[in-house]
Amino acid sequence: MQCEHCDNKATVFYTQIIDGIGKKTCLCESCASEQGITDPEGFLLGSQDIQKQGDSSKHKALPKGVPKIEAATDKQPNRCCPGCGFAFDDLKKTGRLGCSECYNFFREEIKNNLGSMHKGTSHAGRVPEGMLQAFKERQELEQLQEKLDAAISSEDYEKAAALRDEMDKISSQETTPPEPTSQP
Amino acid sequence: MMRFSTLMKHPADWMTGADTDSAIVLTSRIRLARNITGAPFPGWARKNERIAILPELRDKIETLPEMKDAFSHQLSELSSVQKQVLVERHLISREQAARSEGSAIVVNRDQTLSVMINEEDHLRLQSIRSGLHLREAYQLIANVDKQLEQVLPYAFDHELGYLTACPTNVGTGLRASAMLHLPGLVISDHIGQVIQAVGKLGLAVRGIFGEGTESLGHLFQISNQSTLGESEEDILSRLERVIQQVREQERNARSKLLEEDPQMLADKISRAYGQLKYAYVIDSKEALTHLSLVRLGSDMGCFPKQAMELCDSLLMDIEPAHLQHKAERKLAPEERDTMRAEIIRSRLQSLSSPVINFITS
Repeated sequence: MQCEHCDNKATVFYTQIIDGIGKKTCLCESCASEQGITDPEGFLLGSQDIQKQGDSSKHKALPKGVPKIEAATDKQPNRCCPGCGFAFDDLKKTGRLGCSECYNFFREEIKNNLGSMHKGTSHAGRVPEGMLQAFKERQELEQLQEKLDAAISSEDYEKAAALRDEMDKISSQETTPPEPTSQP
Repeated sequence: MMRFSTLMKHPADWMTGADTDSAIVLTSRIRLARNITGAPFPGWARKNERIAILPELRDKIETLPEMKDAFSHQLSELSSVQKQVLVERHLISREQAARSEGSAIVVNRDQTLSVMINEEDHLRLQSIRSGLHLREAYQLIANVDKQLEQVLPYAFDHELGYLTACPTNVGTGLRASAMLHLPGLVISDHIGQVIQAVGKLGLAVRGIFGEGTESLGHLFQISNQSTLGESEEDILSRLERVIQQVREQERNARSKLLEEDPQMLADKISRAYGQLKYAYVIDSKEALTHLSLVRLGSDMGCFPKQAMELCDSLLMDIEPAHLQHKAERKLAPEERDTMRAEIIRSRLQSLSSPVINFITS
């Protein structure tokens, strides 16, 4: 019998029964270990099916220089990006993400892995002109939120109230529509 | 539109070492990775999705004033030799050369600016300058970037900056690098220490064709690794500082060799010249090593100034795809070695024997 992922001989057989419906998967040893079949937690039929739909190549070694990505264990492991169907596990295989929306969807997992690659964990460089105002406001709000949390935990409610007012002021400005930046 | 033959006939200034200061730092290069929001990254996109997004991206690039009369082709329109020539000229990556339909390359007329469409990211903007001029290269690319952000919906995140297919590029999407010629440090056996020290500063040292390539001809590429948590200015100034230090180290190594072992140096340079001038069969690695020493000799006054330019043009012209392009057919490695030797011999005709004036007895 042939492996479902490549042309090698299938030697690993995995049967999963969900809601009474059985599904049998036949894999060769290398595809099986790639799928994490040795670790029952990590073996995901969901991500497998998506990989088949996408044109990502099989047996592709992680490109050199790409740091190993570890999935956050406390998350549901088979979540897929609603934007492009990319599963976080795919990052381990390809070293690349699926689309820009993946960064939103897997934000915490990605952030957990950024420290070893970069000097910091938040952007300090140029911002596209049309997004500059929104970018500044967002950063200001985040800083105020931190101060607010600190004020609340130290029970300085007067300061907290002032900070909240300041945040409300920024948020209300934020709702004014920004200049359109992209042309058709 | 610019034709491939025109591109071949007129190498860019930076390819022939036009900068007076390119004795040690040959070139400076800046690359920005940019993506379109909502569209799958090229590596994850299906072929039809890549093909669908290409025309819009290509149109925006081609209409840039910087790209007037540019060279613009889909990778599928180029032969494998042509693609490889572009790799050897550092105008496209090896990864891009492996792509075909749905990916494109646009190069400006003087080949200082190239844009890869649908490589690993939707856009890879690249600019190259001769000598150590990272800021000038960055200015050129930043201008292009600012025009493009007006007309393309870039994927940008308030926290993570410019979003890229690989998390190692997220933030500024900026990779700055310089190519250095370090024969002094290699001969004096100090290169290992320098590579280690540079690595400790969070910068990468690689061979001439980037990731995973070995160093040939004593050429090394130094680049930043981190793209997040630092501004473009910080990245550039740190890299520039380190490159200046390495350049200084190389100068010191050269003076020390001159002082301590001038015979050895004279021997190496003269033999390299002889080998090149009288070879009938020479492989790429051997040729690059000897050319490197002649280049060093030129910096030490053994050859006239033009020798350096001659070496820099030869470095490129003797590479496999350049030879095959010239021959207008595929060549077996043995045929290439013969043709390579022939080209080198003919170009060295005009170069007289080295004058060794640093040995005082």
